[in-house]
Amino acid sequence: MNPLTITTRDAATGPVLEIAGDLDHHTAPGLREAVDTLPLAGGQLLVLDLARLDFCDSSGITVLLAARNVAVGHGARIALAAVPSNTARILGIVGLDRVFTIHPDTATAVLRS
Amino acid sequence: MTARADDRSPGGPRREGGLNAPDATFTALLEDSAEELYEQAPCGYLSTLMDGTVAKINTTLLDWLGLGRDQVVGRMRFADLLTVGGRLYHETHFAPLLHLNGEISGIALELKAAGGTRLPVLVTSRVKTGAGGEPMLIRTSVFDARDRRAYEAELLRGRRAAEEARRQAEADRERLQEALAVLQQSLLPSALPVVPGLEAASHYHTASPDLLGGDFYDLFPLDGARWAFFLGDVCGKGPQAAAVTSLTRHTLRAAALHDPDPVTVLHTLNTVLNERYTSGGDTRYCTAVFGVLHPRGDTCTVQLASGGHPSTLVQRADGTAEFLTTPGGMLIGVLPDAQFTPTRTVLSRGDTLLLYTDGLTEARIGPNRELYGEEALLAFAATRAPAGPQALVTALTGLLAGFGDGLDDDTALLALGIPSPAPATSEEHG
Repeated sequence: MNPLTITTRDAATGPVLEIAGDLDHHTAPGLREAVDTLPLAGGQLLVLDLARLDFCDSSGITVLLAARNVAVGHGARIALAAVPSNTARILGIVGLDRVFTIHPDTATAVLRS
Repeated sequence: MTARADDRSPGGPRREGGLNAPDATFTALLEDSAEELYEQAPCGYLSTLMDGTVAKINTTLLDWLGLGRDQVVGRMRFADLLTVGGRLYHETHFAPLLHLNGEISGIALELKAAGGTRLPVLVTSRVKTGAGGEPMLIRTSVFDARDRRAYEAELLRGRRAAEEARRQAEADRERLQEALAVLQQSLLPSALPVVPGLEAASHYHTASPDLLGGDFYDLFPLDGARWAFFLGDVCGKGPQAAAVTSLTRHTLRAAALHDPDPVTVLHTLNTVLNERYTSGGDTRYCTAVFGVLHPRGDTCTVQLASGGHPSTLVQRADGTAEFLTTPGGMLIGVLPDAQFTPTRTVLSRGDTLLLYTDGLTEARIGPNRELYGEEALLAFAATRAPAGPQALVTALTGLLAGFGDGLDDDTALLALGIPSPAPATSEEHG
């Protein structure tokens, strides 16, 4: 069990959330709150950097979807960066690899936006 | 408490200028005569002959009894002072033990007290012996135990209240578990229907008996020729998940009767879940496979579509196994414009279609808790002799049991197939 840490920084394209640790039933509300309180403007890109994500269950998937809804609600876009292989596998099974834009890392996400 | 030798003067101890005030008070108390102390002691005293006849009794005890000294001394025995119950206990236990041991202490008895009331007391007795060790008389002290009895009664009342509360809690818990079990059963068919020419088998593994699971499946007739089936998994657990499961199950059934095309049915479910949940900010979704069976003699056409669900597996009669992949089928209920992917296959005699939830493929096995995974499932199916749906489900049930605590999620299995012409020999799982 690893605690979840969320580090927010600003890229030229918009906020980048670096998510480290376990994203599960217990920690998902924390990410939900972080996303809900983001100052996100229309046209910006919200990047969720998952490079240091250790674990993600269905509650984690739910909060990723909630983040997407928040971004869309603000007229912004969302991208996932550095998705760990196990999470990428699950995103593939549930068809969300077609819903999220996925980049190998945050730099690429910012460049290609 | 000291009586100092140098304080002595002719005539015994006297208060002198050398004593301070508390010592003076103390000395005054010591002047209380032994007789006075005996009579007015804060407990009852009595001495009886060995046959129980009262020889001496103090005023305190007489006052409690509401009797005069001449009524008691030489006329009554100790047992006569007790209530009927107390007398019985005195005769059967108290007196024999006292005679055996020479003393007995702290025995709870009841006195017949003044005004016809009962006075709970604690009685201690000791036999006084003569120089030769022969018993001479019994000395008894009697303590007022009303406060103590009230305290004990309070404790007993407290214990009874606690026991009652526990009984109530257990009854509540039983009722709740019964309600949960009924709800859980309402999420699954009590028995699979008999489909002519087809064999069907299912299994449901519950990870936690206290939590309503989110897995579901069903098999039901569409018309005279076709049957519909589905199996899926709602995100989360507990009552909220069960509500989604219930909505999902009824929506799928109703949608199938309206238009059984698998992609259309999943779109209907997607619209219902998305409208019901996403707008409220409480994102709820499910994954599911929905399909239609059309048995025709020796074969059965299967059309199905998947929304975000692990691939359906087919175990062929020739001993091979394959996945019916449905790439791109999305979680159901999340997006208003979700896409679902159809596929089809034909089952021949001895082929078995297997639907499962990810409790099976996401199980963690071995010391390193490695993912069991879809490839291992495919290999498992390919190495079992094709013996029909029930045999495959039985084998998988054994596999799940072997996972132990590596299987921490609910798991549903549904297998459908056309039995081989020869009676299939059921294979033992192990």
